[in-house]
Amino acid sequence: MMKKIQHIGYPLFFIVMALLPAFLDSRWLAVATTFVIFTIVALSQDIVLGKAGMFNMGQALFFGLGAYTTAICNSVLHIPLLYTLPLAIIIPAVFGILLAGPIIHLRGDYLLVVTIGFNIVFVQAVQNNLGGITGGPNGIFGLEMLEFPGFSAFQEYTPYFTALLALLVTLVVLRNLETSKVGRALHYLREDDLAAGSVGINTRIYKIFSFSLGAGIAGMAGTIYANQYSAVSPEAFDFIQSVLFFSIVIVGGSSVPGILLGVFVMFVLPEIFREFATWRYFIFGFAMIFTMILRPRGIWPAQFGRIPKAFIHRGE
Amino acid sequence: MDIFLQQLVNGLTIGSMFALIALGYTMVYGVMKLINFAHGDLVAGSAFVGLFVFSELLGGQISFAVVLGVFALTIILISLLGFTVERLAYRPLRNAPRLSAVVSALGASMVIQNGIMLIWGPQMRIFPELIPTIIWDIGGVVVSLIQVLIMVLSMLLMVGLYFFVEKTKIGTAIRASAIDQDAARLMGINVNNIIVTIFIIGSSLGAVGGLFIGLYYRGITFNMGWQYGLYAFVAAIMGGIGNIPGAMLGGILLGLFNAFIAGYISSTWSDAFTFILLIVILIVRPTGILGERVAEKV
Amino acid sequence: MSADDLILTNVTKRFGGLVAVDNLSLTVQKGQIYGLIGPNGAGKTTVFNCITGIHPCEEGSIIWKGQEIRLLPTHKIVRMGIVRTFQTIRLFSQMSVAENVMSGRHIKSAQKLWHGIIHTPWSRKDEHKNWEVVFELLEFFDLTKYATAPVGSLSYGIQRRVEMARAMAVEPQLLILDEPAAGLNDNETQALIRTIYRIREKGITILLIEHDMDLVMEVTEYLTVINFGSKIAEGTPAEVQSNPAVIEAYLGSEDDDF
Ligand SMILES: Nc1ncnc2c1ncn2[C@@H]1O[C@H](COP(=O)(O)OP(=O)(O)OP(=O)(O)O)[C@@H](O)[C@H]1O
Ligand SMILES: [Mg+2]
Repeated sequence: MMKKIQHIGYPLFFIVMALLPAFLDSRWLAVATTFVIFTIVALSQDIVLGKAGMFNMGQALFFGLGAYTTAICNSVLHIPLLYTLPLAIIIPAVFGILLAGPIIHLRGDYLLVVTIGFNIVFVQAVQNNLGGITGGPNGIFGLEMLEFPGFSAFQEYTPYFTALLALLVTLVVLRNLETSKVGRALHYLREDDLAAGSVGINTRIYKIFSFSLGAGIAGMAGTIYANQYSAVSPEAFDFIQSVLFFSIVIVGGSSVPGILLGVFVMFVLPEIFREFATWRYFIFGFAMIFTMILRPRGIWPAQFGRIPKAFIHRGE
Repeated sequence: MDIFLQQLVNGLTIGSMFALIALGYTMVYGVMKLINFAHGDLVAGSAFVGLFVFSELLGGQISFAVVLGVFALTIILISLLGFTVERLAYRPLRNAPRLSAVVSALGASMVIQNGIMLIWGPQMRIFPELIPTIIWDIGGVVVSLIQVLIMVLSMLLMVGLYFFVEKTKIGTAIRASAIDQDAARLMGINVNNIIVTIFIIGSSLGAVGGLFIGLYYRGITFNMGWQYGLYAFVAAIMGGIGNIPGAMLGGILLGLFNAFIAGYISSTWSDAFTFILLIVILIVRPTGILGERVAEKV
Repeated sequence: MSADDLILTNVTKRFGGLVAVDNLSLTVQKGQIYGLIGPNGAGKTTVFNCITGIHPCEEGSIIWKGQEIRLLPTHKIVRMGIVRTFQTIRLFSQMSVAENVMSGRHIKSAQKLWHGIIHTPWSRKDEHKNWEVVFELLEFFDLTKYATAPVGSLSYGIQRRVEMARAMAVEPQLLILDEPAAGLNDNETQALIRTIYRIREKGITILLIEHDMDLVMEVTEYLTVINFGSKIAEGTPAEVQSNPAVIEAYLGSEDDDF
């Protein structure tokens, strides 16, 4: 039954999402775009936190790095937005390797604080207009729009549909990860680092890889975010954002439906109930506590690992 | 040289406050292996509660007795709040996965922080001048009465805590629970009571820290808990989390470091430098300065 | 002496002030079933931890296939053909039995990191091939019916078998078992003995720690006895059994297993 839902679930989700803009005005289209972008970031966070079990509380750094890469390439070097995308993936991915390398051996909570630290250093560097290209506290604005040759008539929908496409790519990558040696290695080291080493897994490499992959995907989301607002500014990548992504992954249960739900609750509901804006985090705080007490593994706990269909019938 | 001495005094002052707050993190972590994210917000809450106690409950007239009353009542109220947080957000998750407890702690932090905002508003409030502004100029180095009080009182509290933990029966039970909860339980220690005790001690020290922040900086905001909490937490980690003298050392060290960065470089980069220092320390000593490295038994 | 012997020379391991392994030397010959015994806390597990690189020893040398492995990290030692099981079972408890065994295929699979992002026909074939091996092993260890069950929900005896299957999936040349019979009932122990022989038939050297003396006397060909980290006797089971120092060590420690 569950399997059936999942089988029709994804196509249905994408069909609904693809038709959605027809029913939305520009404000709600923007909300929907943000929803998709933040979902991608939360999924990228899940690779490190949920899959590999590393306490990373600095994912907004890589999201921001991607956004700033795009913004700087566009505003300083005048590279069209679309062509900044590869760089906005590669630069965060490389930073993921460089930053994770020296700290990856740290125990859980130490890692958590160090990743918060990276995030804070990043935001402070951008705020202080490092190298004179980040625009300081105001950020960079007036970016060009994403343009796909032949689609210029649909300008206002491009951010949304690029985001949706990126989400699709992310989900395919996640599925490939799950059904490969690499993805399993991440699960193994999350469950028991030492046992994973004892079957020959070089856990260090895989931990760094997960950071790098998560960073690359977050960077991709960053480009689309920069495109949506034609601007970037430091506070959008503050470590509080990382805290939210962190909570979404855990509260959601580290599964795709759980994460979708989490992003929806954190970022879309407040748009619907705007009059309660000041109560937002107060209520979320309680919600986080009570969900964890009632469902310690999250609202929709992930089913870890998969045995290929061809083999499953041999068991039982 | 003047800058050096001046920043030394300032650094010791902030360092004392960091150390007081760091103790709350480190004691809870020692026994529960949990970052009590709500601790920083309790500290912020303390400044607001102090303000409230002074102006609403004790009439707003400064006298020695009133100042004592502000400290006493605030400490009691904040300890109660700490106790409540433990009961509501942490105790039900004692046997849950680690990450669930972390998220619950983050939730508690959001609740308190935004609770402060809902009660006292989002704008900055000014903490009353409970201690007269007396300033001495010692050969170009400016020292205020508040600074002296903060340093001396923090030192006394820390020495007191140290003896409490090392020399008393409850202290021994706390140390035993930190090493091995299950073994402590088998030895007849009521670990739940120990956890309540450390929450009350930690919150009280945090409450004093919060009042010091109010007295020293005067401007208080609902979200300052994250800022001070993070610094104090970094201090605890630098010293080796779970290690009480480590938290004191880490706090003082971080205070000095910050003051010198502000004095010689620029305060706009102080967060960045703080974390770079932390990262360097952890690369050299992965369990902090005084933290012990234990080989996992297999 | 063949090139595939495991040779420990003067191995010493300390934890703080405690000398857990003291100047220990022993040689495990290719194809042997070798026993390491001693009272509780004698340092047996620590010897295994030194060999497998989990707690590298400070002094001495550990030679395997003619190469010094003392300071190599665990995963490299595994790649050289030494795999172990744990005294306190260490499985990936939220995952299924089949996936646990699949973890042992990690180093046998040639998939690269980027195959985690993009699959190719070749990588799919590689996956399929390794799952085949896993299900063969499940058959060998009589675990097929548990293939999809989360391993944490299974009985102790089955978990022990899964751990052995996982180790065998790595295709080791030297299999190290830390108290494989601990917690097993008589039937399970008998099955274990048969399994150990079947593994040896594949030409795999076995080094084991065991407190069940019947098992030790039956399966091992050569024994080293340690107490307080140092060797007190070695020889065939019969020789060791009549050694007064050994009897003394076990009686002295009031361990009545012997
Ligand atoms: N990681 C560690 N840190 C500190 N001491 C350790 C560690 N591992 C083992 N020891 C100590 O080393 C000594 C030997 O322990 P070890 O586990 O090797 O004994 P053993 O012979 O395997 O005992 P058992 O039969 O009970 O399994 C013991 O005193 C133990 O407390
Ligand atoms: Mg042992």
